[in-house]
Amino acid sequence: MGAFKFLFVKEIKQFFGNPFMPVVLILLPLLLMLVVPLAANMEIRDVRVAIVDRDCSDMSEQLVAKISESGYFILSSHEDTYAGAMDELGKGNADIIMEIPAGMERSVVRGEPVEIYIAANAVNSTKGSIGGGYLSSIVSDFSETLAGTPVAAGAPLTVVPQFRYNPNLEYKLFMVPALMIVVIVLVGGFFPTISIVTEKEKGTIEQINVSPVRKRDFIFSKVIFYGILGIFAFTVAFLIAHFVYGLASNGGLLEIYVSAMIFLVFMAGFGLVISNYSDTLLQSVFMMFFFVLVFMLMSGIFTPVSSMETWSQYVTYCLPTRYFVNILRAVCLKGSSFADLSFDFVMLSAFAVAINAVAVITYKKQS
Amino acid sequence: MDLEGDFTIPKGELFGIIGPDGAGKTTLFRILATLLRPDEGTVTVEGMDIVRDYRTIRTVLGYMPGKFSLYSDLSVRENLEFFASVFGKDVKENAGLIENIYCRLRPFEKRKAGNLSGGMKQKLALCCSLIHSPSVLLLDEPTTGVDPSSRRELWENLAELRDKGMTIIVSTAYMDEADRCGKVAMMKSGKFLLAASPSDIVSGFGKRLASVRSDDMFRLLHDLRSMEGVGKCYTFGDTHHIILKDGTDMTEELVGEQLVSVYGHTGVQVRRIRASLEDCYMNLGEE
Repeated sequence: MGAFKFLFVKEIKQFFGNPFMPVVLILLPLLLMLVVPLAANMEIRDVRVAIVDRDCSDMSEQLVAKISESGYFILSSHEDTYAGAMDELGKGNADIIMEIPAGMERSVVRGEPVEIYIAANAVNSTKGSIGGGYLSSIVSDFSETLAGTPVAAGAPLTVVPQFRYNPNLEYKLFMVPALMIVVIVLVGGFFPTISIVTEKEKGTIEQINVSPVRKRDFIFSKVIFYGILGIFAFTVAFLIAHFVYGLASNGGLLEIYVSAMIFLVFMAGFGLVISNYSDTLLQSVFMMFFFVLVFMLMSGIFTPVSSMETWSQYVTYCLPTRYFVNILRAVCLKGSSFADLSFDFVMLSAFAVAINAVAVITYKKQS
Repeated sequence: MDLEGDFTIPKGELFGIIGPDGAGKTTLFRILATLLRPDEGTVTVEGMDIVRDYRTIRTVLGYMPGKFSLYSDLSVRENLEFFASVFGKDVKENAGLIENIYCRLRPFEKRKAGNLSGGMKQKLALCCSLIHSPSVLLLDEPTTGVDPSSRRELWENLAELRDKGMTIIVSTAYMDEADRCGKVAMMKSGKFLLAASPSDIVSGFGKRLASVRSDDMFRLLHDLRSMEGVGKCYTFGDTHHIILKDGTDMTEELVGEQLVSVYGHTGVQVRRIRASLEDCYMNLGEE
């Protein structure tokens, strides 16, 4: 135990001896949690619409006014021809073209069907599809009010969706738990790896290897120290999630911290395995980066697992991030407890134990 | 790397290992330091087998690798204290052993080890490998890249440590340093060619050796090599050394005469000399 204490103190001295790393540790969760949810927003606003109004009637003016009142659209230009509007789209001055056919008012009065043409630039597919969707819903809303009063008899069934746990479908609420995971992956994965590989590059690990220090003391001194740093960064992220975004108001603090700790132990062990197999900082950082990308993109952090290809859904079962994402979202948004998430907790723990066993076995003091 | 050799280093000896780059010196040290497991053969340190008893060996061994490998982001004092604690020792207990070396470092105690000069780094590394009072000290090329006065100090320190009964094994590529060892082993491409005291090695040199100079040293080297009766010729400082073949009629005087009369050299000097350790080394592995 004596050696562990000295190794641990050495880690503290090294970490705080260099003012750069403590700053990174604080800035990373702060920036990630405060800036990214504001910037990475899936809500679409300010879609620019080019209007081709061939009707030039009262009704078409009403429609255009309704669109601009909605708040989602900016009327970028009024064109006489479709080709002119297409030109604007090509130049990037407009995102969507809406063409109102000639004689719309007349046809509506006669009760004939009218087709309004909408063309969206789908280079940015989210903006194109969601903007196009908004626009068509405004148009159909408009046509209902036109038809409104007379056909009240045949009142159609209307669907009133209710979104549970995230009633306003706020993208932020979906993103924030994901970003808390990103914080933990970055701090818990990269810091210990970098620390070990630096010792390898500098040759200091040799000095430790020729000493009677046991390898598990050496490894645990790093896992525990960087685990504490990870919990610290996670706490910063959690406080922001709670006080800025109002998350985890349903309690579940214990569930969140237990899962974070298990996950940190996994990440640290994973980092150790990578550092055992790489000789230089460059190698280890690239390897880590590769796996971190897989962890993030394939485990439902940003896109739901259920919408993945079937084969890749099976792959996600091999990624511990999947379980951690599940736990964090369920606890933060639904207030789930250990009993609801026992499968995820068991799987996460199994991964953590297994990877650390591999780390201790593959770390060799002799070659 | 294949290493070939069979010898014993007596306790309390200052033992030098000489060899060119790539001779296997570092490999040997890594084996002795229990960092490398040999595929074949046995090595014992203080009577303990390096494979079976590596854990015990590590407590009695001090190892200073050729490359500076202390924590450059910790201060001088922190490094020393850390390495003492790694061995479960206290700096104060063993301060006496390193006092002569550490006194030079004391003004820089608070400085980061990475910001020390080369000679100071070397002193600190030596202190850190001595702080647990090892009975065997391994130094892998400790004087490479160190200025001459620091080199001399280091050897004086080593001599003191030996007088205190420590077994010290030093590798070096400098021949003048080998003279300071009680015994030296010469290595070439993994083979141990000779292991004896420097004076025994020198007196065992059984060939006729002469140093030659003239006004045109460059042409001289070429001419000497083409002379009959001259076995080997190599530059040595500002002279050339030649070794006369066994059983030849050639003498130093004849070489001088021929250089003047046949090759037209001026200012020729040929002197018979006693072999130095370097001469012995240059002629190793020939026969």
